[in-house]
Amino acid sequence: MASATRPATVRERVAASDRSIGRLLLVAAGALFWGWLLVSWVNRWLGGVLVPIGEPLVSAAAVEATLAALPGLAAYAADAAFVVELTPQLARGTWLTVVITAVSLVVGFVIAVPLAVARVYGRFSAWLSLAYTELLRGTPLLAQLFVLYYGLNLASYVPGALSGVFARGVVWVAILGFTLNGAAYQAEYIRGALESVEEGQITAGRAIGLSKLETIYHVVLPQGLRYAIPSWTNEFVYLIKYSSLAAFITVPELYYRADQVASETFRYTLIFVVTGVTYLALVLTASKLMGRVEEAVAIPGLGVEREE
Amino acid sequence: MSDGDFLRVTDVSKWYGDERVLHDVSFEMDRGDVTVLIGPSGSGKSTMLRCVNRLAEAQEGSIRLDGEEVLSPDLDVDELRREVGMVFQGFNLFAHLTAVGNVALGPRRVLGLSEADARERAEEQLDRVGLADQLDSYPAELSGGQQQRVGIARALAMEPKLMLFDEPTSALDPELIGEVLEAMHGLVDEGMTMLVVTHEMSFAREVADEVVFLDEGHVVERGPPDQLFERPEKERTGRFLERIASHD
Ligand SMILES: Nc1ncnc2c1ncn2[C@@H]1O[C@H](COP(=O)(O)OP(=O)(O)O)[C@@H](O)[C@H]1O
Ligand SMILES: [Mg+2]
Repeated sequence: MASATRPATVRERVAASDRSIGRLLLVAAGALFWGWLLVSWVNRWLGGVLVPIGEPLVSAAAVEATLAALPGLAAYAADAAFVVELTPQLARGTWLTVVITAVSLVVGFVIAVPLAVARVYGRFSAWLSLAYTELLRGTPLLAQLFVLYYGLNLASYVPGALSGVFARGVVWVAILGFTLNGAAYQAEYIRGALESVEEGQITAGRAIGLSKLETIYHVVLPQGLRYAIPSWTNEFVYLIKYSSLAAFITVPELYYRADQVASETFRYTLIFVVTGVTYLALVLTASKLMGRVEEAVAIPGLGVEREE
Repeated sequence: MSDGDFLRVTDVSKWYGDERVLHDVSFEMDRGDVTVLIGPSGSGKSTMLRCVNRLAEAQEGSIRLDGEEVLSPDLDVDELRREVGMVFQGFNLFAHLTAVGNVALGPRRVLGLSEADARERAEEQLDRVGLADQLDSYPAELSGGQQQRVGIARALAMEPKLMLFDEPTSALDPELIGEVLEAMHGLVDEGMTMLVVTHEMSFAREVADEVVFLDEGHVVERGPPDQLFERPEKERTGRFLERIASHD
C-alpha cells in the first residue's frame, strides 16, 4: 500500500520529530506556560493547597533576590518580581479566556455546520442562513455583545443551574455572543470548503441511492470539513484575541484583569507586554493543535498534499 | 431485436430550459442485453442515461424498467437507484474513502448491511474487477484504470439489475483502457444487462446486441453492431463512424 503512514506511537513521533534547538525551546516554553496555568487553576479549585489563593506559585521576593544576585540581570529584578506578583491574576483571567474561547468555538461549530449546509444546498434555508451570517458578520462584535448584555440584559436571565458555574452570570452572555458571532464566520469558511467538493461525487452518492442529506453527511462533510481546517484555525485564533472584547461587558477574563491591575499600578507597558505574550502563547498553542488535527485526519490526495 | 420486456424507453423527451436535448427517444432491451449508445458530443447520450436512474428528469415519454414506470412521480427514486448501477466518465470516486470504503458505502448506508458484511461484500466486488491487492488504497493513489474499476465495483456492490456506463474509458490514457474493458467483458459474460455509452467500437462490435446512434437528441439509427457499423442506412451515421474511426 502506498499510503502515507504516520508514526504510530508517541515514541516514534518524538523520534521522527525535528530536534532543532528552536523547536526544543518552543516545546519547553509551552510546557512551562501550560504547567503554570494548570497548576495555578488546580491550586485555586482545591482552595489553595499549594500556595494561598491569590499568591504566585513562586515567591516574588525569592525571584527578586535571585536575580539581584546575578550580574547583568540585577537591573530586571524588580520588574521580574512585579510580573511574578501579576501571575495569579493572569492565570485567573486566562482561565475565562480559554473557557469562553473553547466553548464558543465548539458550540459555534455545531451551529455553523448546518448553517453552511443550508447555505449550499438549501433553498429557503439558504436565504435564512445568508441573512444570519451577513447580519452577524456585518455588524461589530462589540455592538452585538452590548445588545446581549446591556440591551437585552441577558445576564439576569441566566438559568439557576448555569449561574453557579462561573462567578458571574455575564460569562454566559459572553459565550452566547461569541458563539453566535463565531458560528457566522465558521459557517462562511465551511461553506467555501463544502463548495470545493466535486459535484461528481455528489452525483455518485445519489446514484448509489443515498438521499441528498445522506450524501452531504457521508460524502461532502468528511471532505469539506477537512478542507476547512486551515481557515477554521484562523477563526480559532481570531476568537482567542476577540474574546478580550468580553472585558467591555465586565467579564473578568485575561484582558480585563490586566487592565484592572494596570489602572491601579500604572505599569501599562510591562503589564500589556506580559498579557500580549500570554495571548501569543494561547494562539501558538491553538495553531499547533490544529496543525496536529489536520495531520491526524489527512488523507492522501485530499486537499493540499503534505510533504512527508 | 429485443422485445423490450426488461427496459422499454418510449418517446422520451427532455428539455433544459428552452433547449430540447432529447427528441422522442425510443429503444428497448431484454434482460442480459448489452446496448451501446453512440453519438457526437452534446447529442444527449449522458442525459439519456441519467433519465434512466432519474439523475435527470425527462418531461415526456415513458421508461419502463422491469414492468415499473421509472418516470412515475410516485416512484421511490432511491429504490430505483439501488437497482440501477452507474459508472461515470470521470470515475467520481469518494476522495476521502479507500477503495473498500468507496464500495462499501452503498451496502452499508443504503442497504443497511453491517460494517463487516459491507466490507466483505466490497472486498468481493473489488476482487471481481481485479483489485484485491488495492483494497486500502485511496483514489489518489490509484491509476485511472484502477479508479474506474473501483467505480464499477462500487456500482456492482448494490447488486443492480441494470448497469449504466457513461463513457467509462474516455478519460483514460490509452494503455489503461484495456483493463476497464476487460472488467466490463467479465460482466457481459456473467449476463449483466448493460446500457453503455462508449466509442470503443471493438467493444461494441464484440458484445453489443444493439447499437443506438443519437444525434442532436434524435435516434438516427439503431441496429445490431455489424449492420450499423458496416452498412449504416443513414448518411449521418456513416459520417459519424468515419470520424470516430479516423480518431482511433
Ligand atoms: N445540467 C444541464 N443543464 C443544461 N444543459 C445541459 C445539462 N446537461 C446537459 N446539457 C445540455 O444537453 C445537451 C446534451 O448533453 P449530454 O447529454 O451531456 O450530451 P453527451 O453526453 O452526448 O455529450 C448538451 O447540449 C448539453 O449542453
Ligand atoms: Mg456525455
